[in-house]
Amino acid sequence: MSKNEKDKNEQPLKVVGKPFRKVDARAKCTGQTKFADDIALPRMLYCKILRSPEPHALIKTIDVSRALKLPGVHAIITGRDLPIPYGILPVSQDEHAICIDKVRFIGDPVAAVAAVDEDTAFDAMNLIEVEYEKLQTVTSIEEGLMVDEPRIHDYGERGNIHKLVSLEFGDMDEGFAEADLIREDILFYEGNTHLPMEQHAALAYFDTDNKLTLWSSTQTPHYVHRALTKTLEIPAAHIRVIATPNGGGFGGKSDPFNHEIIVSKLSMITGRPVKATLTREEVFYCHRGRHPVLMKVRTGVKRDGAITAMDFQSFLDGGAYGSYGVASTFYTGALQTVTYEVPRYKFRGARVFTNKPPCGPKRGHGTPQPRYALEVHLDKIAEELKLDPAEIRLNHLVKPFSVTANYLRIGSMGLGRCIEKVVEGSDWKDKFSGWDKENRKLPFGKGVGLACSSYICGAGLPIYWNNMPHSGVQLRLDRQGGVCVQCGSIDIGQGSDSVLAYIVAEVLGIDPFDIRVLTADTDLTPVDLGSYSSRVTLMTGNAALQAAERARELLTIAVAEKLSVPAENLSFAERRVFDVENPEVGLSFAEAVVLAESKFGTIGTVGSYTPPRSPGHFKGAGVGPSPAYSYSAAVAEVDVDPMTGIVTVERVWIAHDIGRSINPMLVMGQVEGSVYMGLGEALMEEMAYRANRNVVHKFPSLLEYKSPTTLEMCDVKTYLIEDADPNGPFGAKEVGQGPLLPVPPTVANAVYDAVGVRIDEVPITPEKVLYALREKSKGREGRFGPKSIPEVDWPQPLKVLTPEEGGDGREMPHVAVHS
Amino acid sequence: MIPTQFDYIAPATLDEAIQLLADNAYDAKLLAGGHSLIPAMKLRLAQPAMLIDIGRIKDLAYIREEGGQILIGAMTTHYQLESSERLKEICPLLPETAGHIGDAQVRNKGTIGGSLAHSDPAADWPATVIALNGEIVATGKNGERTIKADDFFVDMLTTALEPVEILREIRVPLVQGRAGQAYTKVPHPASGFAVVGVAVNLSLGADDVCQSASVGITGAAVKAYRARGVENALNGNRIDEALAQTASAHAADGVDLNGDLYASADYRRHLVEVYTRRAILKAFAQAK
Repeated sequence: MSKNEKDKNEQPLKVVGKPFRKVDARAKCTGQTKFADDIALPRMLYCKILRSPEPHALIKTIDVSRALKLPGVHAIITGRDLPIPYGILPVSQDEHAICIDKVRFIGDPVAAVAAVDEDTAFDAMNLIEVEYEKLQTVTSIEEGLMVDEPRIHDYGERGNIHKLVSLEFGDMDEGFAEADLIREDILFYEGNTHLPMEQHAALAYFDTDNKLTLWSSTQTPHYVHRALTKTLEIPAAHIRVIATPNGGGFGGKSDPFNHEIIVSKLSMITGRPVKATLTREEVFYCHRGRHPVLMKVRTGVKRDGAITAMDFQSFLDGGAYGSYGVASTFYTGALQTVTYEVPRYKFRGARVFTNKPPCGPKRGHGTPQPRYALEVHLDKIAEELKLDPAEIRLNHLVKPFSVTANYLRIGSMGLGRCIEKVVEGSDWKDKFSGWDKENRKLPFGKGVGLACSSYICGAGLPIYWNNMPHSGVQLRLDRQGGVCVQCGSIDIGQGSDSVLAYIVAEVLGIDPFDIRVLTADTDLTPVDLGSYSSRVTLMTGNAALQAAERARELLTIAVAEKLSVPAENLSFAERRVFDVENPEVGLSFAEAVVLAESKFGTIGTVGSYTPPRSPGHFKGAGVGPSPAYSYSAAVAEVDVDPMTGIVTVERVWIAHDIGRSINPMLVMGQVEGSVYMGLGEALMEEMAYRANRNVVHKFPSLLEYKSPTTLEMCDVKTYLIEDADPNGPFGAKEVGQGPLLPVPPTVANAVYDAVGVRIDEVPITPEKVLYALREKSKGREGRFGPKSIPEVDWPQPLKVLTPEEGGDGREMPHVAVHS
Repeated sequence: MIPTQFDYIAPATLDEAIQLLADNAYDAKLLAGGHSLIPAMKLRLAQPAMLIDIGRIKDLAYIREEGGQILIGAMTTHYQLESSERLKEICPLLPETAGHIGDAQVRNKGTIGGSLAHSDPAADWPATVIALNGEIVATGKNGERTIKADDFFVDMLTTALEPVEILREIRVPLVQGRAGQAYTKVPHPASGFAVVGVAVNLSLGADDVCQSASVGITGAAVKAYRARGVENALNGNRIDEALAQTASAHAADGVDLNGDLYASADYRRHLVEVYTRRAILKAFAQAK
């Protein structure tokens, strides 16, 4: 048993690391969990939102008179009722709950109805007459860069370019000069959506005491709270946001949404509760999903595969609004450096506005696209150097507890063990044919591929600038031994409620099912920033740990005094507090609470967590830093039908460096879920629009949007690598997002091993594979993918010396040029 | 979303159903298994004022042999066809096709009659009923008539049924002698419908010479069709890999193929040819 498997008093861990069921499992499995749409209040009205059928147009007139006359209609609002803009990022306050004078994509709200039932609201919605004046649409990355007028928004870099980023770490010329081989690749990753099983829903009630309560299926109740106070112009103290358990989020419920603001406004007008549940079609239009990203990567390497310099460019199709897009843009360039040593690094990123549903964060936020590009690119480099794909990675891993060229502080780093596990488990050496495809180990049509990745365990900085903790936990102990954990975090299915209970139970020596977990209620729980960026286990976990340790301290003092036992001898386990040297000398946990309450008064403690400061101090250093990084490696075995191009993934082996599993069963579930979602992105899913100026979604429906089901899901063999990270609670790191990242490049690399063609564009559809096979048979390059990138007038790069070059993490002073 | 308001009637007899249909021909829809109609209503693509549920009419679900034919009641579920031991012996193409439809829930509720009458261009049954040289029995105000499968599928979601006619039965001739049957399919990854589905029904003589070939193809065009070019190339010839290859090149002769996001028209043509070849060879292997 290692040191980490024991608590402070060297007692074995009783809860952490054990496969307990989730604290909310029974309610979920039996259908008793109340999701937002399950909540109904007396006199409740139903809301329907009229959405624009035009992708880009001016609103000339809106006539609601016919709709208002329909019996059962209580209120109709338009953009004039909610004039204040909002947006998740302070730099992108570009949304209105209802468009005022202009619509920017098909699905943009233009009016909203509250009526006695859903049918009446629907009928009234269809009676609203809107006159539009069409504007030219902007539909692609290329157009976004080229077409300056009409502008979709009146802010951003210029024309329809939302954001340009240009960063340079170290002497690139020197880096490329040292290289034995310089390789360039251009790849494209198509956009796709989250597809949570639960559609977004929100219920608002503005009561007679002028207090507003909003129940919503949101991953970020704190940010919704801020957006409501801004747009509704009522004090934050008068607003209570309760996040209901999310039936899946995956990043799609991380923005404040127009329907949340709309139902609140309609409730303020009518004085009655108002509910909106989005249809599946509306969820497709709300989107905020994976950005389509075109990428060019240029890397210099030594003969042994050591990287000397990397130059990465990314182009993001942002859709109609800012959303998290500025952060997404930085994320497409941030994490290339945290897996393998990249001594010099340059990144340029451009995000454009287009007249499509807005893109935002989806599981892996901005990093699956560059990870796919990087890992396929590295496979091609390995081939040129005749190196084994596992070896080239293993030999150049980033060092643990080091600082990267772009000033990310690496903590524990288990990628090497991850690679070794999947290589061993998959019999890689007996399957991978090497680069001499004449002497195959698997028959033609069968192949294996390998890829790795890393992800943050929580964003190092909050979305709006402040110095307060990112997560707070409040603990109440009652005199009968009950423990209530209160925290602003919301369980989106990942098990965050359970993690709170497990950690508190471990510290206080009680059963996790004795604990009442009360989360995501802005009236009752301390702020947690939300369930995004894989931050919850690490950040709320640390806050819970601190709160629990403080409570334990109080109980220890009281019990030590009562039993006349030295405080350091007391241990908490099995719902008892006892002397480790004489275990029969002790009290029940409830008795301990009574003693503590008698001595100190009501027992309540708080804990909070603020991430460590990042070593980077340049503009743009805010995206990428994290208290810790998780690591994953995967091998996929595929079957490719060379006659049809149909790819079947037969098995995936994946190893994930979790630091320490708070609950290995939940960790495995997250790994498998990530593989599942990664396979969907790799092979099937895409947000597709009709190929004309009218940018309408081709199939906003589960009948047509292709996502894997259990029928398509392959076997997954999961390995957990446990190497405790000093910044994680009990050493824990994230698992919710990271394991998705290696899946698309693993599949692409396996397809190459199977049939010798490179598919440099995700999703890897049968038609693309067949095209590449036919090209190859004609003696041309066996490849499908983009061939060029657009010309961009990049700004002067912000230059930072790397730590190795003696840099201090600040921008280099501009050298004055004297003529 | 929820469907618009509609009336629901469940007649006890076929005559009652026909009378209801006659009285409400343009506002009513027949409800069989509901696995095409209900989703369309929920999307409000279909907004019938009345649903006539024929699921309560007795004796519409059966599989019988009579007069050299297999008779299948319209309300027979996909699962009943999939699991029939007798069919596996005498007409394995029927259970094989049924096994390709949707998932277990769909197969438990969906019916062969409902599927055929809906004439979805990507449904599985039309290809198989064509390949089996089947007939459709339709009941109307003036009694019954039979329609050849070849004449039944008129266009996308359009059949030869009159507005006041109900599909009552499907008839398939019993196969004589040495025969081989197979259904091959590329399912759409989201819906499970056929991107391409090919049903092949071979009757073989001595020396593997094809006496009669019957090939139905679905998913590829606006409606399921008979691939005559393939049949002509097979008939009278000895079946082997080379013949399967040359015959399957005719699988899309004279047909306008669908193109969509999953498969362009060109790719679909390629899939039709590949899957026709595979179906021929699979059917041939069954006959051995």
